[in-house]
Amino acid sequence: MAAADSPSAALRRRDLCSRGIRLAGKMRSDVIDLLDTYVERQGLDASASVAAVEGVPAAAAERWDEQTGTQRLLDNLAAYRAFRALLAQMLEEQREQLGEADAALGRALAAVLLQVSAFAYHLEELLRLESRGPPSEEGAGPPPPPHLGLFERKLRGLGVLRELAQWAVRSARDLRQLAKPSPGSSSAPSPAESP
Amino acid sequence: DSHIQYERVGADVTMKCGSMDWDAAVTWTANGTDIDESHLNGSYLILKKVDLTQSGQYSCYEGSSWHLKYQTYLRVGTPPKEPLLMCRSNNYPKGFYCSWHLPTPTYIPNSFNISVIHGTKEMVCEKDVFPKNRCHIRYLQLFSTVKYKVTLTVTNALGKNSTTLTFDEFAIVKPDPPESVVAKPVPNNPRRLEVSWQNPSSWPDPESFPLKFFLRYRPLILDQWQHVELSDGTSHTITDAYAGKEYIIQVAAKDNDIGTWSDWSVAVHATPWTEEPKHLTTEAQVTETTSASTSSFMPPPTTKICDKGAVVGSGAVAVCWTAGLVLAAYGVLFI
Repeated sequence: MAAADSPSAALRRRDLCSRGIRLAGKMRSDVIDLLDTYVERQGLDASASVAAVEGVPAAAAERWDEQTGTQRLLDNLAAYRAFRALLAQMLEEQREQLGEADAALGRALAAVLLQVSAFAYHLEELLRLESRGPPSEEGAGPPPPPHLGLFERKLRGLGVLRELAQWAVRSARDLRQLAKPSPGSSSAPSPAESP
Repeated sequence: DSHIQYERVGADVTMKCGSMDWDAAVTWTANGTDIDESHLNGSYLILKKVDLTQSGQYSCYEGSSWHLKYQTYLRVGTPPKEPLLMCRSNNYPKGFYCSWHLPTPTYIPNSFNISVIHGTKEMVCEKDVFPKNRCHIRYLQLFSTVKYKVTLTVTNALGKNSTTLTFDEFAIVKPDPPESVVAKPVPNNPRRLEVSWQNPSSWPDPESFPLKFFLRYRPLILDQWQHVELSDGTSHTITDAYAGKEYIIQVAAKDNDIGTWSDWSVAVHATPWTEEPKHLTTEAQVTETTSASTSSFMPPPTTKICDKGAVVGSGAVAVCWTAGLVLAAYGVLFI
């Protein structure tokens, strides 16, 4: 793994991590705004409890502090690929349900979907740097949309967005862990953070 | 035969003298003092509408032999009101603690039982040795959307009460205030103060879970605070302090992403650097109602003085900030 530990690789990793942390922060902020819009437009109660939604990757992690860097990246990438598919489904359902009547919600969903896609790509870059390479997406296609009534679909959407907001926080933490210089690496002393 | 008897404030209490018959001749004492016969109904002691002052040791003696026939310790108190419970994580992501107290005392011993449920899992809240009414929990999971439900039940001999708190992992995160806040003047800079502080020592991993900070400062003579939010670093230079005025400064902390702001740190005081007055002229002496130094509002010789020519000759509205500052400072003096 000499390439992954080279000074230039370490610098690149820190740079990707810093940018990733900023991306995650922006994403979280936009997801929280989207949640408010979604709850209002879908006529939901913001405090409604939603049981664990099938097919939605849970951000909850046990022994989170013991994870390796590679594991963090793999877990994050799997999650954001899943969210990419789930948000695309939500966008389609929302267009079918409301058509052009609620363009604002559609635009907000699309904007978050874009950020999720960008973040997934960012994670793939980090994995390439780990000399690991991202796993292929073959056979990991989106789960078939379950046959749910309108209200159940709305609640499911709420669950998706809440879990995504949680992931955005976790991802920033994961990237900070990743950005820490590893013990015994040949990297130069920490450079100044890029603005 | 001695035991403890708990009764509510305001209750009527009847004490029997052990196995003595109703018509036996007895003497009752309260904390060693004889009780007047008017409180007796036969050998029974009747206490009407007891109050807290009537707590104590009650003894019953057989009339002629003065044998002790019965003894009880009366504790007058109240059943518990709904307890006040709070939970907080000041050491995220390690865990959180919950602490509680009763809004009013019961005057009798209480026992507390706390249960913490996360989803379907019951977690153990380990009681702290000090303070007593506190317990802590280690997080088994992080980033969970499942809420925590904490129920506290308080029980005593006269009744029980409980309260429940439901919250999610992020909502209760509140660091302790920053520590070791220091504010110093900056040599040759009459409007600057350098402030530095440290992360609270209870925050376990500021590198992975960085804190952001909120600084507030004001001159002692004014009520309005200035605020600065700082996303990183543990120092800041104030550059708009009023020359020569003593400032009060405080800092608060918050996790960069989640939770709420800490309480304000201990306040520190500092005064910006001022040059030693070389000589005082008549123009510099101002009649003041306070005892502030008369040189306070005279710009030191090094301070750039507004070029009147530039201000008058210019067509634009040129704000001469130094003159404005002096005028504002004079205005402050006469508030």
